[in-house]
Amino acid sequence: MDKGLLAYLLIPLFAAVIIPFAARCRRKLADIIAAVTLLAGLANLAWLVLRPSVINGGFADIPGDGLSLLLVATIYLIGLCVTFFSAWFMDEELPNRPAYYSLILVSVAAMTGVVTTSDFFTLYVFIEVLAVTTFALITTDESAGGIEGALKYFFLTFPASALIIAGLAVLLLTLGSLSFENLRIFMASDIPSGPVTFGAALMLLGFLIKSGVVPFHAWTPDAYQGAYAPVSAHLAGIVTKISGVYAIVKLATLLRFFDGRAQGLSGMLMFLGMLSIAVGALAALRQKDFKRMLAFSSISQVGYIVLAAGLGTPLAIMGAVFHLVNHATFKTVLFLNSASLERSAGTTDMDKLGGLEHSMPWTSWTSVVALLSTAGVPPLSGFWSKLLIILALWESGFKTYAVLALLFSIVTLAYFMVMQRKVFFGLKTRAAENSPEVSAPLLAPVVLLSAVIVALGLLFPYFYTYVRVVTERIIL
Amino acid sequence: MNLILIPIVLPLVSAFALLCMSERTKYLKEVLAVGAALVSLLAAANIFLLPPTALSYSWLGSGISFTLKTDNLSAFLLLAVSLFSAAISVYSFSLPAKGPAKWFLFNLLMTQAFAAGVALADNMVAMLFFWEGLLVFLYTFIALSQPTHAAKRTAMKAFLINAVTDLCLLAGVVITGYIAGTFSMSEISHNKLTLDYSWSIFAYVLLLVGAVSKAGAFPFHTWIPDAATDSSAPFMAYVPAAIDKLLGIYFLTRASVYLFALDGKMQLVLMTLGAVTILVAVMMAFVQKDYKRLLSYHAVSQTGYMILGIGTLNPIGIAGGLFHMINNAVFKSCLFMTAGAVERQTGTNDLSKLGGLFRSMPVTGVCFLIAAVSISGIAPLNGFFSKELIYKGTLETGYKVFFLAAEIGSFLTLASFLKLGHAAFFGKRPENLKETKEAPFSMLLPMLALAGICAAFGFGARLPLEWFISPSLTALNIQHGVLSGFHPDKLYFISVIVILAAVINHMVGLSAGGGKACKASDHIHYAPVLKETYALAERRAFDLYEQTMDHAVPFASKLLYRADRFLDWATDTLPSGAAGFFSGAFSRFHNGSYPLYMALTLAGTVIYILLAASNGGLR
Repeated sequence: MDKGLLAYLLIPLFAAVIIPFAARCRRKLADIIAAVTLLAGLANLAWLVLRPSVINGGFADIPGDGLSLLLVATIYLIGLCVTFFSAWFMDEELPNRPAYYSLILVSVAAMTGVVTTSDFFTLYVFIEVLAVTTFALITTDESAGGIEGALKYFFLTFPASALIIAGLAVLLLTLGSLSFENLRIFMASDIPSGPVTFGAALMLLGFLIKSGVVPFHAWTPDAYQGAYAPVSAHLAGIVTKISGVYAIVKLATLLRFFDGRAQGLSGMLMFLGMLSIAVGALAALRQKDFKRMLAFSSISQVGYIVLAAGLGTPLAIMGAVFHLVNHATFKTVLFLNSASLERSAGTTDMDKLGGLEHSMPWTSWTSVVALLSTAGVPPLSGFWSKLLIILALWESGFKTYAVLALLFSIVTLAYFMVMQRKVFFGLKTRAAENSPEVSAPLLAPVVLLSAVIVALGLLFPYFYTYVRVVTERIIL
Repeated sequence: MNLILIPIVLPLVSAFALLCMSERTKYLKEVLAVGAALVSLLAAANIFLLPPTALSYSWLGSGISFTLKTDNLSAFLLLAVSLFSAAISVYSFSLPAKGPAKWFLFNLLMTQAFAAGVALADNMVAMLFFWEGLLVFLYTFIALSQPTHAAKRTAMKAFLINAVTDLCLLAGVVITGYIAGTFSMSEISHNKLTLDYSWSIFAYVLLLVGAVSKAGAFPFHTWIPDAATDSSAPFMAYVPAAIDKLLGIYFLTRASVYLFALDGKMQLVLMTLGAVTILVAVMMAFVQKDYKRLLSYHAVSQTGYMILGIGTLNPIGIAGGLFHMINNAVFKSCLFMTAGAVERQTGTNDLSKLGGLFRSMPVTGVCFLIAAVSISGIAPLNGFFSKELIYKGTLETGYKVFFLAAEIGSFLTLASFLKLGHAAFFGKRPENLKETKEAPFSMLLPMLALAGICAAFGFGARLPLEWFISPSLTALNIQHGVLSGFHPDKLYFISVIVILAAVINHMVGLSAGGGKACKASDHIHYAPVLKETYALAERRAFDLYEQTMDHAVPFASKLLYRADRFLDWATDTLPSGAAGFFSGAFSRFHNGSYPLYMALTLAGTVIYILLAASNGGLR
């Protein structure tokens, strides 16, 4: 475990413990404590990374491997946005309101644990903590859909945990240790990898299920659609990415996919990634519900990350990490917008919505920014990450994959255009008649994230320097 | 400024200055155009008198230089171009039927500038640049000459025919330049290309197509008769009668004797092309009932003589071809001018409505007579001498059949001019033409000048041959003897026989047509086999352009339309259909059924583990 980052894990955990006591008399205190905790963490991180001296020094002074720091920042950012959004979105009288904030903070702590740990067993423990908190979060509003989604999430991901445990056991038996360093050293040596790769493959399978890659994706649409609205943003934006995709990227670097060790595994991973891209995008085309479409879009975008991780070259890893961050921002924007729609128009059924661009201009235009970024339109951040991935594929000779990835980003644009036209453009429908713009506090997180999307796109050269430092540190 | 540039730059500048003038200014534009043309003519005369010089700029990087060269042939051609520009600009001074004055004069000056460029350019790429520029103004010239739909259609026809053949020329120039290693014509001429291998034959044929199509030879001539009815007389007198002939034959000469050393086979091809052009066009000309249309077929037919002359490849024939080129331009331009004058004064060009005009339009009539006698090759006017040279050259090659074809052409030419002159200027005057007056002085002056040239080149045939033709041949590196002189030999007597035959034919036709001059050709027009052939020709069955437009183009466009729809289908319907199918299937699959999801996940897990086991490790 990276000791320098331990505070980012412990402080939210501590805040999560305090909240139920503090909120007993003054319920509003729960929101405040949660938001302040996350904001303070974010400010601290910003000071660590964004000081002019650090930027001028090419980010050489950042602690740890850099990847953890980047992901912790993303986790805090999304956590803050979700918390802030929930504070105004959530029903004042909801009985388990303090518990909700506690759970959010615990999940933030667990995710921080996942990205800062340096051995597989700790990783597994934090992922299980994350799974349990997520399970509880999905059911926040106690609706039938929430319960159903939570159960599906649970029943389809517990085999994943079992597979990870099995993989861990194989690794422990053959390698004698579970630390990342040992696996890295082992893979760098010339010893035939055999059972070690198999153990890693089992673990990878578990993470694949958890990140919702086709054909193990079936739980995601129902869980995202059924979950309490801000929770879907949290879940889709960051939780599944950290509990599954991050681990896949990490394993990909540890298994040295880039020098052709474990080539079969690499090939399988790339195939599953491509399959996810295709199935997710095609299924999203025909969805009638906004949130469900976003869920399928999530599957598709996760596919890009898995595809790049499976390729494993430095450029691809760079693209994967960058896309992970981008996906967190733009998918959170879209899910939060869907929550705003639900609040304002009372539904997320796209057939019933229409012409909302006049009454809800902020929601409409932040959606445009996010969807263009998802589809990879320059100069938004999503363009650069997809470009890196496609370039890496082309360079390594996977030209078919590169072309397909490019084509399906067009499909991405297509289904999001359909969404934008159905929901925001066109004629007003009856459901849209009485739907005013949501209040400014609900817009603030969305606008902030949209600004981040644009800024990351425009300031890409700086960000590229940072991501390159990260890649150099985790691969070499 | 260098003297060489004046004939090119001055008309160009004047043309753009014209565009800046208001359409309402009276005679200002005409004065400017006439002035520019006359100054250019003076400059051209000056260039002709000075020893040959060259002006060279490096152009388009290395290899291709923009070179203007005034060797004797180019200077002679430049003089001719400038002469006709000046004549037409004077002629059109008070002619309202030329279309909008501004655009007519603009086109006139632009055409003059580009034609001068073609004449002077030594580099083939530079020549091609000017040549293609002419194409643009050919279109605008015709399209703007009349506000009718037919004018636009004919303009498009002229444009397309010439565009295709200009593309051939372009390809030919590129191939020639590639084979020779240079685009400079004077450099190629030091080491002429031979037709030994297929690429050089191909290149020459492409150049040939470009040149003879510009000159208006069969089968690229079909836009000329259409333009005769759909555009104005000064245009006809300027472009198809003069400029196109000059440039086309000029480049044909350059290609055939200056750039390439032709062999017997190609000589035969050229001569056949010439003979066929003579006969086909003159047959058509003979039966025409419209003044300008009849002339336009003759414009085509006379091209045949020039090609025939050049095709003989002996000095006398080439001299005849070049001499006929300038003679034809003079008398044909003059004839079109008389047509324009008649049209201006009477309002029609239909021969059945004209007659007896000689008394009211004596000057026009005299000009017509001189030019008609000249074109028919009657001694001692200029047409006789150039045709005589061509006949001599043809006989020298030994192919008597071409000589025969040329004589038949002469016979029909004279016959049709007998008919035309009789119908327009003699015979009975219709009632409505009693008040007809002579054309204005500005129209008579260029006519008289050209008719005077006809007479001067005839009676003093030695002078043009010595001044123009002989130096031109020297410029083409052709050794030759004395060209001129009137010989009362066999050829002269044959021409007398031809004249008598034509007069007899006219008498026969008159009596068969009931004394009406415009029906003097009907006995041949409605002769058994010819009748059907003429009927087909009237329906444009032999017009390659119309046939292509009527049959090949609709078919091709339908085919392309189909191909386009297929591409639409392949890029539009097919992907969206496939995407729709898959997305429908996928969304139906995600129906929320837990067992189904579980089964899928388990199946995927099993396959994954098996693959991982066989690929990764446990082997």
